Amino acid sequence: MKILVPLKRVSDPDNANKVKVTGGKLDASGLEWKPNPFDEYAVEAALRLTENGTNTKARVGEVVVVTFGPKEAETTLRAALATGADKAIRIDALDDALDGDVVARALKALVDKEKPDLVLLGKQAVDGDSNQVGQLLAEYLGWPQATFAASIKSNADKALIVSREVDGGALNLKLTLPAVVSVDLRIVAPKSVTSIHTPATHTYPDGVRFAALMAIMAAKKKPMTEVKLADLVTDAATKIKYTGFELPPSRKAGIKVKTVAELVEKLKNEAKAL
Amino acid sequence: MEKPVQAINRYKADLRDFNFLLFEQFKLQDLCGKAPFEAWGEEEIRSSLTECYRFAREVTGPLNAIGDATGCKIENGRVIAPRQFEDAWKKLYEAGWISIGVSPDHGGAGAPLSVAVLTLELLAGSNAAFAMYPGLAHGAGEVIAAFGTEEQQHLFCERMFAGKWGGTMCLTEPHAGTDVGSAKTTAKKNADGSYNITGTKIFITGGDHQLAENIIHLVLARVEGAPPGTKGLTLFIVPSVRTSPDGTLGERNDANVASIEHKMGINGSATCVLNFGENGKCIGWPVGGEEKLNQGMPQMFRMMNGARIAVGVQGVAVASSAYLNALEYARERKQGSSITHWKDASAPRVPIIDHADVRRMLLDMKCRVEGIRALAVKLAFHRDAVSVYGATDEKVAVYHQGQVDLLVPLVKAYGSDQGFRVCETAIQTYGGAGYTRDYPVEQYCRDAKIFSIYEGTNHIQAMDLVGRKLGQAGGANLQSFLGDVSKFVAAQSSHPVLGDAVKRLGKAQEQVGATAMRMLMWFQSGNLGMVPLSANRVLEMMSELTVAWLLLDAAVIAEEEKKKVDAGHPDFAFYSGKTQAALYYARNVLPGVEFKGKLLEEEDKSPLDIPNEAFATV
Repeated sequence: MKILVPLKRVSDPDNANKVKVTGGKLDASGLEWKPNPFDEYAVEAALRLTENGTNTKARVGEVVVVTFGPKEAETTLRAALATGADKAIRIDALDDALDGDVVARALKALVDKEKPDLVLLGKQAVDGDSNQVGQLLAEYLGWPQATFAASIKSNADKALIVSREVDGGALNLKLTLPAVVSVDLRIVAPKSVTSIHTPATHTYPDGVRFAALMAIMAAKKKPMTEVKLADLVTDAATKIKYTGFELPPSRKAGIKVKTVAELVEKLKNEAKAL
Repeated sequence: MEKPVQAINRYKADLRDFNFLLFEQFKLQDLCGKAPFEAWGEEEIRSSLTECYRFAREVTGPLNAIGDATGCKIENGRVIAPRQFEDAWKKLYEAGWISIGVSPDHGGAGAPLSVAVLTLELLAGSNAAFAMYPGLAHGAGEVIAAFGTEEQQHLFCERMFAGKWGGTMCLTEPHAGTDVGSAKTTAKKNADGSYNITGTKIFITGGDHQLAENIIHLVLARVEGAPPGTKGLTLFIVPSVRTSPDGTLGERNDANVASIEHKMGINGSATCVLNFGENGKCIGWPVGGEEKLNQGMPQMFRMMNGARIAVGVQGVAVASSAYLNALEYARERKQGSSITHWKDASAPRVPIIDHADVRRMLLDMKCRVEGIRALAVKLAFHRDAVSVYGATDEKVAVYHQGQVDLLVPLVKAYGSDQGFRVCETAIQTYGGAGYTRDYPVEQYCRDAKIFSIYEGTNHIQAMDLVGRKLGQAGGANLQSFLGDVSKFVAAQSSHPVLGDAVKRLGKAQEQVGATAMRMLMWFQSGNLGMVPLSANRVLEMMSELTVAWLLLDAAVIAEEEKKKVDAGHPDFAFYSGKTQAALYYARNVLPGVEFKGKLLEEEDKSPLDIPNEAFATV
């Protein structure tokens, strides 16, 4: 099976307090970048589908990772190569010039070239939290889609059973490949991904696998290609126009009230919460 | 009821500082890409540190308190290390972090030592006790790689570097600790060329455990008829399980654990008493074969140099996490009001980081941790320069190797001494909470105490410095070192922010030079009692000079770089921290160098003059 995994780098969510707004624009300087966690889960799930879990060095499929970004974004791709992905593509673009729609249209063009059996991606990126790309891409491709996958069963290479958590249980969907699947965090639980290549008795460690030192060293020998955004989409106009950014106002210090009556009065007249 | 110990990671590291040292201060990128580091570039190094840190937080870190609470035990004559270490051992070798610096010929990644000391910091800081097992296996493997016969290398090295087999170094005996030359373990030659080993070794780290299927002991023993003292010691390879040349395991080798120590700290690390040849059936082979008899000490020193660097790194590793944990606590814990509101009982409570004395403790810890880390990386960088330039430029290589030799006792002794003291300050920062097991710093403090004792006590390091290293190469290494400091002082003494501190560095440099002359004079004039009495103080003076220099050098770089970023940029705060750490150390620690030099001139001999019976009446 050939799987395409779109990856996004996001500013480290642990350092959200370092985000700055300059002149109504997000200022990315000095931010530390990390792979979007949901995309890391997608890479992990893709690797599990294309290997024998008892001998992960022997690949039985192909995982292609792709990202949109400047040259520095290749670090994110290399990290994915170091955990086991087979090849990487960087679509040269700046974050400012992208929205979910341009990304989905460019990915459609890339899918037409790469011809993967499956596009596996995170349900959303933890910076903009838009949650659009997977759905738009499936629509543009005319492929079946399953979103928020909590488990994936691949019994034969031509179909998947995807389980998504819904209120009160799990909804199981059967998809005929090719398809688009977006994943939720539970996809990296020990038994969430099952495939014909891995014995049913095998249990994965919880979470995303470590990159071994030797794999980090070998990652730079794996293929990394650059594609221009303009080579994929003739119309790179975004549908979403950002008119401005501002930081949320800092919280005002609280006050102590002396009586319940005063509290009610303030809730009613000042906070207008009653 | 006993509180169950949970697998929670408390380990923290500031990778920004790691990357600063490598790429902004020492410029390791200038050595990268050159043989033998062709495979290494900035991106590989940054990725390795990031990934190794993740490993430390997710695998070894969560087991730190568990290993401490569980400890080791003996069952059926075999040591059982904490069970959770089994999985960590397996994962560690899958990930490859221990052999990051090992030559690719033996299955390693061939990284610069500058990188390897930092990955070691991550592993040792997250779990000092656990890291001892693979650390010793690695050190013993390095000795066989350096001195073993081809067959020995083939049989042992790759298996030891891959974690299939463990390893130990067996020097100490009940009556032969610091005085290793009085070792009584004997070796008697057999008809087939092997030797029968008989004797008892104590304090053997990782002397037995269930993490590897075989443990390769390196044992110092005296062959029958060999001269007394260190000159008659041979290093023997003694596997705990006998092996055939293809590595197939056979029967056990009569090298048995008699007991384990019950210690103050590093409780997850098994410290063993080992009996060799109790039943007359312990077989060993000299490292390097028959022609290397009586070469045990120089061979062991090869391992000890690496091990001494590693112990200094352990010191800074544990101290660094103690500091960062205390910092986190100080930011969150509210207690008392600002001193500006001292009369107002209803003034808002403030986080303790707002209190002056807490800030002093935090900055004191910061400058020591970052300064010692810089010292360790400086040593490693010199070693890497030898690796790169050794083959082509002998003069350059001699200079760099000289600095390595000079700095080893400083890294070991100052790193371990100060590491413990930083842990103590961290507890003080927490207050009563720090004394409880709810927070990690009391364990850090207990774990860190051993660092100043093992691998040659810190007094042995001080004697190595004053007795060997200061005069090594006719004093050329010291002269080069003092010259390097002078150059920095000359270049930066009118720096607008750091100038005064740099001038003070110049005075300390002069004092260290003068003190070195005084030591020489004591040697020459037969005033020998003053040498060991003063050695620790001299090592401290020289360490403080070096650390102050490195902190100021970092601050000069930081002041330049700070101009390139605006005040809201995270790097702006980082660089400001570098400047303040250097200023604090230069103003509060560095002046002590001159003062200590003056004390030495007084030649106080009261510890020698006091009669033994005058120490106490009991």
